[in-house]
Amino acid sequence: MTERQAPFILFQIADTTYAVHSEAVQQMEMVEHITPVPNAPPFVEGVVLSRGQVIPAINLRTRFGLEKKPYDLRTRLIVVRSGERTVGLIVDSAREFLAIPPEAIQPPPDTASGMSERYLEGIAILDKRLILILNVDAVLSIAPSEELHLAEAIAEVKDALLAEENPPA
Amino acid sequence: MPNILVADDSPTMRRMVIASLQSLPNVHFEEASSGLEAIERLALAPVHLIVLDLNMPDIHGLEVLHFTRRHEVFRSIPVIVLTTKGDEASRAEALSAGAAIYITKPFEPHLLAQYARDLLETA
Amino acid sequence: MTPASTNVFTEFLDDYFAECDEHLTAMRRNLLTLESLAQQERVDVSLLDELFRSLHTIKGLSGMVGLAEAEQLAHLMESILRALRRHQLDLSDEAVDALILGTRTLEQVIATRQTRQPLPDIAPAIKQLEAITGPLPDLPPSPEETPTAATETRLPLPRESGPPAFTLREGERAWLFQFTPARALAERGISVDSIRTRLQEIGQIVHAAPRIQDGGKVTFEFLVTTDADDSTFTPWQEDGLTWAPYEPPPPTPAATGLKAVPTPSIGPPNVVRVDLTRVDDLMQTIGDLVISRARLEDTLTSLARHVPAAQQRQLQEINQALERQLRSLREGVMRLRMVPLGEIFERMKFVVRDLARERRQEINLALSGQETEIDKLVVERMLDPLLHLVRNAVSHGLEPAEERLAQGKPAEGTIALRAATAGDSVIIEIEDDGRGIDRERVAEQARAQGLLDAEAPLDDPTLLDILCTTGFSTRRQADRASGRGVGLDVVKKTVEELGGSLALDTEVGRGTRFTIRLPLTLAIVDALIVSVGGQRFAVPLPSVREVIEARPKDVTVLGNEDEMLSYHGDVLPLIRLAARFGLQEQFERAFYVLVAAHGAKAAGIVVDRILGQREIVVRAISDPLIQVPGIAGATELGDGRPLLIINPAVLIGSRR
Repeated sequence: MTERQAPFILFQIADTTYAVHSEAVQQMEMVEHITPVPNAPPFVEGVVLSRGQVIPAINLRTRFGLEKKPYDLRTRLIVVRSGERTVGLIVDSAREFLAIPPEAIQPPPDTASGMSERYLEGIAILDKRLILILNVDAVLSIAPSEELHLAEAIAEVKDALLAEENPPA
Repeated sequence: MPNILVADDSPTMRRMVIASLQSLPNVHFEEASSGLEAIERLALAPVHLIVLDLNMPDIHGLEVLHFTRRHEVFRSIPVIVLTTKGDEASRAEALSAGAAIYITKPFEPHLLAQYARDLLETA
Repeated sequence: MTPASTNVFTEFLDDYFAECDEHLTAMRRNLLTLESLAQQERVDVSLLDELFRSLHTIKGLSGMVGLAEAEQLAHLMESILRALRRHQLDLSDEAVDALILGTRTLEQVIATRQTRQPLPDIAPAIKQLEAITGPLPDLPPSPEETPTAATETRLPLPRESGPPAFTLREGERAWLFQFTPARALAERGISVDSIRTRLQEIGQIVHAAPRIQDGGKVTFEFLVTTDADDSTFTPWQEDGLTWAPYEPPPPTPAATGLKAVPTPSIGPPNVVRVDLTRVDDLMQTIGDLVISRARLEDTLTSLARHVPAAQQRQLQEINQALERQLRSLREGVMRLRMVPLGEIFERMKFVVRDLARERRQEINLALSGQETEIDKLVVERMLDPLLHLVRNAVSHGLEPAEERLAQGKPAEGTIALRAATAGDSVIIEIEDDGRGIDRERVAEQARAQGLLDAEAPLDDPTLLDILCTTGFSTRRQADRASGRGVGLDVVKKTVEELGGSLALDTEVGRGTRFTIRLPLTLAIVDALIVSVGGQRFAVPLPSVREVIEARPKDVTVLGNEDEMLSYHGDVLPLIRLAARFGLQEQFERAFYVLVAAHGAKAAGIVVDRILGQREIVVRAISDPLIQVPGIAGATELGDGRPLLIINPAVLIGSRR
């Protein structure tokens, strides 16, 4: 049953749970000392120093087209590596480290916007909890000017799943 | 503990030679980047085998070889001459001057190690 | 070629590339000298020896790593040098050309191997080299022509022979030194190698040979000609050296022939090769130390009122000593990273030489300041931009000979490449005496493309901005009209990324000059810490000419809302950092103006407050999301909060 369970870091944004491969995560920190960078894209909160390196701090809420929310004690900065780049992702909270068995992961459902196939690696349902596995490389490689309405995409995913669970009579 | 002197003006080549001989039991290496330095190493520490490049700055490898053959103290140290393709004409001179073996670069590392082992054992 | 995967020496590839690079650099230099000597009867033998040895080493190493193409090329070139050395071949233009082509191909073969790209076609080079070696008798290589002391061909190998003949210059004497190596000396770092270097510093080593004394002790004999007097070496007695004046034997007829041949210098220079990443690690540690010291200072300041004056003074003294020592440590490590610009200037010679041939034009490349040193990283990054500017100068700047003559200029065009250190900057100039840039036609094009207001004059900085506009520069029409432009945007971007600036001076019919100003080193600079809109920024001190305190009433607002400040009898345009950066100014009565310049264009950068002056560690910004014009990097002052570093030149350059 347990053939290579892939470890993930789970985080929350606006009550939705996301996962990133833990091997892509360099570290997780409380959010402090972000220096704003003038004229940077709106979802870039600024720069932080991580292990002596200057990296951008991306507000994933803003990036996903959601409303901003003040930082609190649960806000986290997840430092991820993607290819040559290192970036910090600001998320509502991030606490869990979870091994997801491969058979629990399914491809993202087809949605009208096509958004989910592009930015999700897959989805998993564990204990009735929906986990969206984020494709970090894809999210980072989009042009800063392109808007990412992930909230709508997520709603679509949830609808698609609900439809599966309760097929219309 | 056998001491091997590796004399070559190219630091990379010295590293390659040392890597090839690393497998020999308990050996220790001395390095020299010129002919004069090679002779200085000989004067300062007991050396049991010399791996000698010919084309070196200041004094030529053959001069180093002649020098060691002419002097009682160094005469018994076996010498492997290791030189680049194109210097083959110096083979006869090197061998007649008393080099034990003459090898051309590029060399086979295990062959060099084999020769070195044999020479250290018979010495 | 042995497949790399099966070659046991692939782990030495990095060493291989580094060593080949050193030899190729030396070869380029020597080949160009050789070229200038072509068709002369006597060629400096040491030059041929050095080339021979470089090729010999490259050949041997290439064989070891299984790069057969490089081995073959080096082998053929070595044969030519051997023949030259034996006077079996004259130093013709063809021979030099073949050697240069061979060197370039060799360079490409090694470079493509390093980047794992397909190898270039070596057939043309092989063919040209074989055309030279072809008529030679099959050379039985023999050892005597190998580069030893100044032995001419066919001499028997010097055994423990006497020293060769030599000539003494005015005021020189010959001395015979004897060095007896010993372990105790070796422990103090005194070896035959260091002695040789020492002797080379006072004069020329004519001959060096090992000797065995009666007791079986090894000694080394050095025959040295020098104008130094023996009081110089009196202290060397303790280092195992003895000496006596040497009387040269009367010259024999055979020996007089040797006179004109300069003696090769003996032995390798005293150089240690260090992996750059190790230097970077050291630099990083020093950076951390600088930050810790800054924190110490802050703590001392906050403690000041609790500590008795005497102790406080002591603490301050220690702190200052620490600062001085750190500075000198930092400079020392930084010097390790410095390389002379001459190396890339040498490459330019090749480029100019090729272009000159291609265009059948006489071009004089005037170099100066080759010894100017700059950070190795900067040199590497600047190679392509410089190549680009030099190529542009030749192919777009210089007119054809007829045109030049018609204008009363010499037929031979001149490209000057100069480097100099000025304070914390290195200045590189590329100047041609060609046609200059036709300002009117560029202006016309720029207006047509909406890059320039109809009325606006086109001064040099604006001209440069337009030429560096990506869209503008790639337009062929504009190119032909202006004769410039392709890729200039890339040049400018690279210079600015390195924290430098680019400027242009041009005059129709007289020529064009590009001036590149680069920071001497990248890692640490003195900076002003300023605040604007509640946010702190660092401004490198070398880029600030002056700081002025001003009040709103001092500012004159022009019709187009441009603000000016009167400054030394002139007016200084102002750039409000807050406005540029979308911040709210927060000064009370007065604000501060940092006077900075970009080329001939000066401007004042308005900030709220000056918080102080600090030594900062510059950290690069590499992620595209945070690369913003006018920001050169980030730093930290010990509190973990990043601070952005401003590049005033870019702010001024992009002023509209």
